[in-house]
Amino acid sequence: MLTYILKRLLLSVPLIFGVLTLTFFIIRLAPGDPAAFFIQPGVSPNVTEQIRAQYGLNDPLPVQYVKWLGNVLQGDFGRSFSRAQQPVFEVIAEALPITVTIAALTLVANFTFGIIIGIISAVRQNSFLDRFLTVTALFFYSMPEFWFALMMIILFALKLQWFPASGLNEIGAESFGPFGFFLDRIWHLVLPVTVLSINGSAGIARYVRGSMLEVIRQDYIRTARAKGLPEKVVIFHHALRNALLPVITLIGSSLPFIFSGALFIEVIFAFPGMGRVTVEAIFARDYPLIIANTFISGTLIVLGNLLADVLYAVADPRIRL
Amino acid sequence: MMKADRVMRAYRGGALYCCFLALSLLLSSCTGGSGNRERGSAAKDTTLVIAMLGDADFLNPVIGASVTSSNISGLIYPSLLQSEFDTTTGLLNFLALEKQLRPSIGGKKPEAALAKTWKMSADHKSITYILRADAFWDDGKPIVSGDFSFTYRLYGNPLIASPRQQYLAELIGADKGSVDFDRAIETPDDTTLIFRFFKPVPEHLALFHTSLTPIPAHLWKGIKPEDLRSSPLNQKPVGAGPYRLQSWGKQQELVLASNRRSNLPKPGNIALINWRIVPDYTVRLAQLQTNAVDIVENIKPEDFPSLVKANPEIEIKSVGLRVYDYVGWSNIDQAVYHKTGKTVPHPLFGSPEVRRALTMAVDREAIIDGYLKEYGTLCNTDISPSLKWAYNRSITPHSYDPAAAVSLLGKQGWKPGPDGILQKNGRKFSFVLYTNSGNARRNYASVIIQQNLKAIGIDCRLDVQESNVFFENLQNRKLDAWMAGWSIGLEIDPLDVWGSDLKKSTFNFVGYRNPRIDEICELAKGKMVQTDARPYWLEYQDIIHRDQPVTFLYWIRETQGFSKRIGGEQLNISGTFYNIDDWTLTPSATHAP
Repeated sequence: MLTYILKRLLLSVPLIFGVLTLTFFIIRLAPGDPAAFFIQPGVSPNVTEQIRAQYGLNDPLPVQYVKWLGNVLQGDFGRSFSRAQQPVFEVIAEALPITVTIAALTLVANFTFGIIIGIISAVRQNSFLDRFLTVTALFFYSMPEFWFALMMIILFALKLQWFPASGLNEIGAESFGPFGFFLDRIWHLVLPVTVLSINGSAGIARYVRGSMLEVIRQDYIRTARAKGLPEKVVIFHHALRNALLPVITLIGSSLPFIFSGALFIEVIFAFPGMGRVTVEAIFARDYPLIIANTFISGTLIVLGNLLADVLYAVADPRIRL
Repeated sequence: MMKADRVMRAYRGGALYCCFLALSLLLSSCTGGSGNRERGSAAKDTTLVIAMLGDADFLNPVIGASVTSSNISGLIYPSLLQSEFDTTTGLLNFLALEKQLRPSIGGKKPEAALAKTWKMSADHKSITYILRADAFWDDGKPIVSGDFSFTYRLYGNPLIASPRQQYLAELIGADKGSVDFDRAIETPDDTTLIFRFFKPVPEHLALFHTSLTPIPAHLWKGIKPEDLRSSPLNQKPVGAGPYRLQSWGKQQELVLASNRRSNLPKPGNIALINWRIVPDYTVRLAQLQTNAVDIVENIKPEDFPSLVKANPEIEIKSVGLRVYDYVGWSNIDQAVYHKTGKTVPHPLFGSPEVRRALTMAVDREAIIDGYLKEYGTLCNTDISPSLKWAYNRSITPHSYDPAAAVSLLGKQGWKPGPDGILQKNGRKFSFVLYTNSGNARRNYASVIIQQNLKAIGIDCRLDVQESNVFFENLQNRKLDAWMAGWSIGLEIDPLDVWGSDLKKSTFNFVGYRNPRIDEICELAKGKMVQTDARPYWLEYQDIIHRDQPVTFLYWIRETQGFSKRIGGEQLNISGTFYNIDDWTLTPSATHAP
């Protein structure tokens, strides 16, 4: 398996590189200009040219590419155009902890609730409970996240005033002491994490229910029941492990989500996370930041897929890598 | 057994998470909902919270480009002169400690000014400032004339690409391509600062262009121009103004603390100013409604009633008029211009009569009544009614008159075709009206314009483009008709927008050309007393109104939501935070809903 992992890792290098090269050319071919902000009356027309010269955008495209390649090979992804010339990885390092916190909490909630609801629905197939859970899950699954978030804000922040509408901390939260600060942060995270996890767990519940139903109908489950094993053992010990196999793929593919952020939630709840960094970079034509983001998400997608494959092999001895 | 354990552990994990969520829910409803808010409100009593759409970029006046940066830099850095916009005349006034360009309307002592006085030379080719000796940077070093000459070199350095380099356009050498700083700025001693111009400059313009904000030379001296943008000092500024930067969580919040040592001026009773970045408009409104923030800028008129009803502690303030929307009609055939560089009239919009007819066909009042209400005013030309000294009151706006529009178009040869659409020489009056995405007001207006034009037999299709793409197309003269807006400067200088030299006048997107307009603008600029230029500006407005290079739609009053706990604020056309150092905060407890 180690050789397999190494081989996959080696293969991923040219793959990611190809993705970055494509991104490099696509964003430069797209209409729009990183210096466009400076084109306004009262600002000398020279400024745009000077800014473009500073960013190295006046060179021919192949020259820009060779220069960029040289820098990237030395690990230098450049400085952000739109964020006050901060090194791009510094921008990402500021946004990443926030995104990871939200995403990690959300993923735990997603999988926990998703698996529980999925199992209940499957075990009690066609009962009122199953139908109720299925309809509710579908209801939340089909709801646009941004709309749901706004509804939650209207209910819990505006009407009931239980939770804050946005931000990571209250004004003056530093004076609450470390524990108070932590509680304040949690208080601010409840709404966004709830929105994200209700939506996500509904989807996972559908997966688990389907896969569980398939497994429950298998001969070995009938055998287990025929042996007189208690239902709990049959479900959790024999059925669940096999039913969770497709869920493992989901965990692998969720890895990029942890780092790429949830744009709508970040915008609505005013969290400066990765989703906002990426989208604002695109709108501002901030080439270095777009490429660095692509690098991170590309790497994570490749690693996530690899992780899913490896987990598959770990969970199912029939699969040989 | 191991496997069952793992499953159980996962379950326990889930249960733990449920407890954790439940606990936080409990906390929020018990302590968070009231306790935290009470504790928070103690801090809030002395903190002014402003919700902003976007973060500041550089806290350095030389390169800072965003509005947020300018607002914040204005509180951190000292200024040579204090300026005020006189609402009775529409003239910009400049004040030094002991001298004023015109009598001040507020009658307030200009404590923020670094200059004690100034003297304009008789030939209007130099201005000499005498600086006060009791002003200090935050690190204790005195503010001297050398700081200004050093900073002006940065403003003028092409490697730094300052967005304010236009201010140096009259200094010696600027006419030859680059300012000769050794001759243009002289500092005989620490408190004397002399600027020299290559041509006579009116006093108000000299004051405007020589009062750019300085930065401390002793701290910035060692930084190479090419490294200036990436210097950490841009993120940890050393200033001298009434506030200093306390903390800055990027894209999250920026906190300014009052600088008790400052005498430029002494800060008011607001100890902290917290600029929170809240990108979503609905959430900014929700925050204002729940008293989580005190100020939200640019509130849409349709949200006023519900906002004020939900929280009577909010008031809507408006300021203007600096911003207008217009429909641009390409005066010249862009395709021919691109191919040959020649300007020939546009087949649809080339004649002033057709453009006038289009203006008459659009029910501009209906757009104002339906969207802006009392926060909109009909726009005749790009000289704002707020600039009273130059505004032409005798102009009668082109009224909404579809019948007159049809007859005017008929005289130009545009007759209805078999499908009802106007035709001339086999060409239908049909075009696409472009606008940029994400502007509710323009979307509203463009639909009305489409309906109005349809009613007189013009086929107008609407297309919304992503902002960056839209502005690039506009700049490259790729659009025939579009809807956009301008925010005007307080000094009238319209050549950028209407100048006949299309290569030089980069914002003349419509390709309007009228030699008299070029002439008037030069004549007006040549007047050494600002108000002497009035006759020229009146004629300018008559011509623009007659030629209708674009259809001017409406002036917009910018509307801001303010918490009533703020006192002493005077909103002014020169900015919402114009006199923030005079504001006071009433403790929030007495105003809590």
